[in-house]
Amino acid sequence: MNSPTGQDSLEAEALEDTATIVRLYAVTDGRTRARHHLSLHTVLGPGRRPPRPGLSEESARIVELCGQRHRPLAELAGVLALPVTAVSVLVSDLIDAQALALPIPDRRSAGSDLQLLQAISAGLRRRHPNATAKAG
Amino acid sequence: MTQFPPPANRAIAKLVIAGGFGVGKTTAIGSVSDITPLRTEEVLTTQSTATDSLHGIEDKTTTTVACDYGRVGWDDPDPVELYLFGTPGQPRFWSFWHDLCEGALGAVVLADTRRLESSFPAADFFEQRRLPFVIAINRFPGTETRTLPEIREAFDVDEQVPLMFCDARNADSVAGVLLTLVQHITRITSAHSTLLDA
Ligand SMILES: Nc1nc2c(ncn2[C@@H]2O[C@H](COP(=O)(O)OP(=O)(O)OP(=O)(O)O)[C@@H](O)[C@H]2O)c(=O)[nH]1
Ligand SMILES: [Mg+2]
Repeated sequence: MNSPTGQDSLEAEALEDTATIVRLYAVTDGRTRARHHLSLHTVLGPGRRPPRPGLSEESARIVELCGQRHRPLAELAGVLALPVTAVSVLVSDLIDAQALALPIPDRRSAGSDLQLLQAISAGLRRRHPNATAKAG
Repeated sequence: MTQFPPPANRAIAKLVIAGGFGVGKTTAIGSVSDITPLRTEEVLTTQSTATDSLHGIEDKTTTTVACDYGRVGWDDPDPVELYLFGTPGQPRFWSFWHDLCEGALGAVVLADTRRLESSFPAADFFEQRRLPFVIAINRFPGTETRTLPEIREAFDVDEQVPLMFCDARNADSVAGVLLTLVQHITRITSAHSTLLDA
């Protein structure tokens, strides 16, 4: 990772940002706003319909990735090396086309929160029998 | 790429790992994650100010921020998919930090004794947001030894906030930090529901 040491690296950083933004506009046809509210952790799965032919390379890849397993938006953005906003726009289109679906309800009640916490503890302990929590 | 069946029945949980630059956030996530941590980028629109503009090249109105993303999942005893989000030190971009923390159960503030103060803003942020958090000190070899009470005093956080040493490269050690966090959240959540029931 490069550390910003002077003006040169600042310029390089600005150029890098510009390149990222150009890429963003290229894949979304200039759109920067998604129609669906999607969080970084919003999970996406395959939809009911096959993607229409002529899908962009990025969108086809998103459908493929979500067909392999459910993945959150952050994972899609990371794998595709595209900004989250760009992926949100593409994902929104795919949801509308029913090529992707939101398989998991996003809300939890307080009661099930405790159950979830217990499930995390139990799973972590099973995976890491030598791990110790700090008492207190 | 390994093909997994869609883990449709796993409950989703999200935790955040924050701290100053170079304290070991990516290493910590990688230690427990099923996948190599991914870098996720977001483009933010910022107000262009005099200090932000780079001597006339352009008025910088957008900035790229990045976070780490990792995940660990299991089906026994109960199916869970745990998402880990890592974020660098300064909550300069509040909207991004809020997005990152949205839906999170809790957070780890990772710190390093060489530059403890670089992790203070993260602790302040979670305290203000009332997101349960623990502080884990990633011990680098040859660094000055400071006791936990000294470190607690420096952070100036509530007595209830768990504070411990860890080794970001060691999976069991990181899992211990996560367990401590989950227990801490459990205590807070149960106290809340007891209050509500009363
Ligand atoms: N000796 C030692 N080295 C560590 C430890 N944790 C991380 N490192 C090293 O310290 C460096 C920084 O670790 P990272 O995990 O990249 O830290 P980070 O917090 O993600 O850094 P930024 O994303 O740049 O803010 C890497 O070279 C790691 O290999 C540790 O516990 N002990
Ligand atoms: Mg990092």
